[in-house]
Amino acid sequence: MHTFSRSALAAAAIALATGPFAVAGAQSIKIGFNVPLTGFAAADGNSALKGAELAVDQVNAAGGVNGRPLELVVYDDQASPKEAAPLAVKMITQDGIVAGISGSYSGSTRAASTIFQENATPYISAYAVHPDITRSGDYVFRTSFMGEVQGRAGAKLIGEMMGKRRVAMITLNNDFGKSLAAGFREAAPRFGIEIVSEYDYGIRDREFGPIVSKVKADAPQAIYASGYFFTAGPLVSQLRAAGVDVPVIGQEGYDGQKFIEIAGPAAEGVVITTSLDRDSSDPQARAFIDGFQKKAGYPADMVGASTHTAVLVMAQALKQAGPADKAKLRDAIAATTVDAATGRISFNALGEVKKDVEVQVVRDGNWHHYARISDPLLLAPPEK
Amino acid sequence: MLFAELVVQGVVQGAIYALIALGLTLVYGLLRILHVAHAALFTLGGYVGVLVTNHTGSLTLALGAAMLGVGVLGMVVYRLAYRPLLERPPFVALIASIGLFIAAEEVYRIVFGSFGLSFVSPPLQQQVDIGGGILLSQARIAVVAMAVGFLALLAWLSGHTRTGVAWRATVTDPKMAESCGIDIEKVRYLNFFIGSALAAAAGVMVALLNNLVEPTMGAVPSYKALAIIVLGGLGSVRGTLLAALALGVIESFGTVYAGHLLDRDALAFAFLIAVLMLRPQGLLRGA
Repeated sequence: MHTFSRSALAAAAIALATGPFAVAGAQSIKIGFNVPLTGFAAADGNSALKGAELAVDQVNAAGGVNGRPLELVVYDDQASPKEAAPLAVKMITQDGIVAGISGSYSGSTRAASTIFQENATPYISAYAVHPDITRSGDYVFRTSFMGEVQGRAGAKLIGEMMGKRRVAMITLNNDFGKSLAAGFREAAPRFGIEIVSEYDYGIRDREFGPIVSKVKADAPQAIYASGYFFTAGPLVSQLRAAGVDVPVIGQEGYDGQKFIEIAGPAAEGVVITTSLDRDSSDPQARAFIDGFQKKAGYPADMVGASTHTAVLVMAQALKQAGPADKAKLRDAIAATTVDAATGRISFNALGEVKKDVEVQVVRDGNWHHYARISDPLLLAPPEK
Repeated sequence: MLFAELVVQGVVQGAIYALIALGLTLVYGLLRILHVAHAALFTLGGYVGVLVTNHTGSLTLALGAAMLGVGVLGMVVYRLAYRPLLERPPFVALIASIGLFIAAEEVYRIVFGSFGLSFVSPPLQQQVDIGGGILLSQARIAVVAMAVGFLALLAWLSGHTRTGVAWRATVTDPKMAESCGIDIEKVRYLNFFIGSALAAAAGVMVALLNNLVEPTMGAVPSYKALAIIVLGGLGSVRGTLLAALALGVIESFGTVYAGHLLDRDALAFAFLIAVLMLRPQGLLRGA
């Protein structure tokens, strides 16, 4: 190897650096991307980045946006509003981005969304759920379900599709869990569900002994528990360990292989509402699922699918409107319909996504298809 | 029935708090340093526990490796981070400690990955009926047994051995102890070794209960253990034990009956404030 000259190495390095861009040469179109790469949300952040990068690779391999390659301008926001706000300013005023995408949680996405709106720059929230994000204004969109919408889907799933009546709720006390719980509570009576008890827990809790004991005493027919894989994994395994064997219904926060790894055999039979169908035969979804596994080295998850979708939506709108005029780009996003790994995406007047809810179940240590909820009336996000 | 079960769950949690907070109170008693980075050693204990168990299949070996390795690292932390700062005001060491803690979290993330680690086949998951129909996993019983065992051992050592006497003398009056021929440096190293080894043991047990070790696993203990040692009366071993158990039980009932008003951490601090208003010196006065 030592026979390589310095210039040959440099050439190789340049080739490597520009390799993924099939359309290298033309000036790139920059999209800002804030994502938590360090801190407590780093696991989701890293998957989110992989998903977005995969979408950029795929778009560029297919000729880019009208001959120009996409480029992500990535910043670590630590899922913190105080980091995200100055980063948004920097992306817009100094980095020359045409639009932004959030691969982050609600707090930071909310902070950034107001700055994008003030600067009339389109911004898509990939998986942050807080209702106020799209209310920042008409430049802000969301490609994932609001918590309330997914909560309603959970009620239909438990009450109508699984036929369970007495439900205990275990709610994560942040915006994600609270908005899910609100949607679930609102829709529960429509599906004959009686909520027998509700317990709150904090995002740092991993030890659920007392709640598990109480839920066991409540003897519900099903448990609607909100959380992320790192809280839901310990929760489900502790529920099962205490002999609570009724169905546990979760949401997209569970969605990933790590949940199954943590909960182990206890994960079997857990059902969630989410936006990615692992057994899908749709070519878009397959290309994402296979591509993600190859790129990341672990199976696809919800956050990766969500940022992947957000980048595709942005690319589609850029193809139609071009990068020069941000108002035109915003209108193009609002009017677009894109077939992505997470389904057919279009937006309502508020910039909220309209799509079906996928229901997945853990079987033999993997996520699999359980059902699909296609109910535009129930799943209608707010219009303002 | 439910009452008894909640008490038991609280005692399990309290035993974990006790193992973590004990090292902190030992360090405070001896050096008057608030050792926030102690929680980083707790996390490292969890990582060593999972990695060694996954590679060798032996939890006992993993526990030993975690306690020994992290205990030695605790001494290194004292040597490199605190010893050069002993002559400075205590907040200097506190700031160093906080910096060390944050840096450690990110180092764990870089080295071990951001998703955290889990046991391939978690040991001690068998259910045991401890009477009255209360089912507990072996891991939970082991946590309590371990806390009781280690603390009893520590109490015996400090009361019945020359090293223990030297340790107590150094805590009470370092200058006088030194002039009586006690090597106070040795006492300090021992102190860090024991405290860090206990934190590592707690880390292994928490990993076992949750089947998850994350870079940020120490975030809650980093401040809650501070609350516990203040609650116990700074520097008091018995007070720390009492405070840890009391907090565990209060959180147990609180999360179930008041969880929608205050989350677990808020409950802990509300309890802390209430106690300090009635007993500013803590539950038991410091040693």
